[in-house]
Amino acid sequence: MFREPKTGRSARAMVAEEALKHLDHLYRVAFHLAKDPADTDDLVQETFTRALAGSEQFTSGSNIKAWLTRILYNFFFDDYRRSKRWFSTEHAVETSLEDRQADPNPGPESQALKKELDEQIIAGLRQMPEEFRAAMVLVDIGDLAYDEVAAILSCPIGTVRSRLSRARKLMRQYLSVYIGDKKERAE
Amino acid sequence: MTCAEAEELITALADGELTGPERELLESHLHECAHCRAIMEEENAVRQKVRSHSALLSAPAPLRRKILADERILPEPMPRWWEYFWLRPGLAGGAFIGLILAIALPTFFALKTPREPLAAAALETYARFARGELSVERTENPKEVVAQLTKAVGGELHPMGYDFSTVDLKPVAGLVREINGRKILIAIYQGPGGTLFCYTFFGSEADAPAEAARFLDSARRMSFYAFSQGKVNAVLHREGQIICILASEMPMDDLLALARSKAQKN
Repeated sequence: MFREPKTGRSARAMVAEEALKHLDHLYRVAFHLAKDPADTDDLVQETFTRALAGSEQFTSGSNIKAWLTRILYNFFFDDYRRSKRWFSTEHAVETSLEDRQADPNPGPESQALKKELDEQIIAGLRQMPEEFRAAMVLVDIGDLAYDEVAAILSCPIGTVRSRLSRARKLMRQYLSVYIGDKKERAE
Repeated sequence: MTCAEAEELITALADGELTGPERELLESHLHECAHCRAIMEEENAVRQKVRSHSALLSAPAPLRRKILADERILPEPMPRWWEYFWLRPGLAGGAFIGLILAIALPTFFALKTPREPLAAAALETYARFARGELSVERTENPKEVVAQLTKAVGGELHPMGYDFSTVDLKPVAGLVREINGRKILIAIYQGPGGTLFCYTFFGSEADAPAEAARFLDSARRMSFYAFSQGKVNAVLHREGQIICILASEMPMDDLLALARSKAQKN
């Protein structure tokens, strides 16, 4: 239980304060799961609502970041995803291309390259099978340890390792032009 | 160990999640296999690129404000003081002593150390920048300004992130100042439209200088405080617990209109 009797503050208030410190983290994870920014906002806001409603279940001293991420992922997986407001592969690719076309003035070359790389990463994640993408989003974007991800995905650590390995392999292919010449190695 | 077996372990090694005999076996294999060493290099490169891509992504200020304003999320307000005493009459004596202290202590400190208006102190940064006494690291990426400022205060506070492109201004740099123990985020906008500083900090309308002229936007029930320091005009307004000050050498009427156009209703 999350209590600090000396201050007289409620468990809810303390969880709210702690949870707000992880807002950016939740936003990043939600962004790579959600279809568009409006959905990202909904997912994050609902995560906060659910976390605060269940604040009594949070144990003081345990990892609040992993706890919040689990709430976010469960909400995404169980509820929101079923309402089909989340992306499909086709839509993700179209969005990415539209975004690129919508900006006729990308600025200096380095900025354009950075933007292009960001788009490739987003598109790469969205083209992956969902189980691989979830592992990569939680480990690389969410910066969570394998055991924390295993708890969130309700699977063994070995499965996390295997899925992440497959995800990274796919991402290596998507980003091959940015990380060196694969052909050279193959030859 | 085969290369196929090594590939999965390479992922775990890159993440610092591989220990014991598996790690020793893999390291031994990597020592002998150039193909897997190349995969390891690519693995590290991909890992670094994906992580640095996400590092600049932060929750937009409107979402943060929406969450702060969501009554389902924030704890319910405490009972009003008279309700509290009605329920617990024994607290009345303590409250009386508290009331005396609440009046006496601020008076004592006000007499002892005159309070420096935060808004006026903050504007000093603009003056120093205008005199060329303040060097800042410039960037052409607006997201970077927001990310750097947010990171500098550990995510406690986000700059307002206003878009001033309609007046030919874009964010070029950001800095954090601590004045009277309070952190202030400063986003610097520049362009053909001149220079504009956007200050963001936790505070109240009491942070406006005493001499500031108050303008009431009755439609939105928001107050805007206009004041000047030398050639610099400034407009302060509050959005929840956040205070925003726009400072520029543009005419006061224009600055006030700009602040009103960007301010979000409390």
